[in-house]
Amino acid sequence: MKYLLLLNNDVAAVDSWRALTADEARRAREEEVPRWNELFAWIGEQGIATDGLELDDPDTARVVRVRDGDVSVTDGPFAETKELLGGYFVADCTDLDQAIELAQRVPVAAQGSVEIRPLVES
Amino acid sequence: MKVLALIWGEESGWDTLGDDERQAWYERYRAFGREADGKIADGAELAPVRTATTVRVRDGQTIVTDGPFAETREQLGGFYVLDVADLDEATGLAARIPGASHGAVELRAQAREGEGA
Repeated sequence: MKYLLLLNNDVAAVDSWRALTADEARRAREEEVPRWNELFAWIGEQGIATDGLELDDPDTARVVRVRDGDVSVTDGPFAETKELLGGYFVADCTDLDQAIELAQRVPVAAQGSVEIRPLVES
Repeated sequence: MKVLALIWGEESGWDTLGDDERQAWYERYRAFGREADGKIADGAELAPVRTATTVRVRDGQTIVTDGPFAETREQLGGFYVLDVADLDEATGLAARIPGASHGAVELRAQAREGEGA
């Protein structure tokens, strides 16, 4: 069963990262690396096939709509929320319980949230 | 570069469609898939939002709640991962995704090396 895991960062955390100098940002990322490595090691042990991306800053988000043949493009993420999508995984898990176990190991879950959406298998 | 295209729409509208109308929408998506062949790295339809589960960890405790993390008027119903030269190419493709004509397609670019959250 495949699941989409949406990694939502807390806006306050994102704002605090933006306030960092380049050096501070680099150090903060280095501190994060072991947590992510732990996650990927666990995923490997479980044999869960995953794919995913880290996303660029939400400032570069665009929303595209077509109405009566006219295309409108607006800036910014679709939904104004107190959490911002920072990345995602598509994970082939045995069941929802395993997806939840994976979600709780994602570092983002500790300050924002991880939303799990089952995929329709085609 | 890879761009995540999130397809938002009113799920309640989809629920009211008959089988023929749903098949017609699936055919539009298949046509888009053929048109954009080679530019689509991944993609899927999502099960209804009532099947969503949100996971948070606070002070070492895992909190699992039913439902999406945010209640929105339109719901995330599917996605593509587009493999494109830039955001402008992704925008052109997004306008041809059937969902753009009744809901919206949100484009989120892959993080550049050493940046992003």
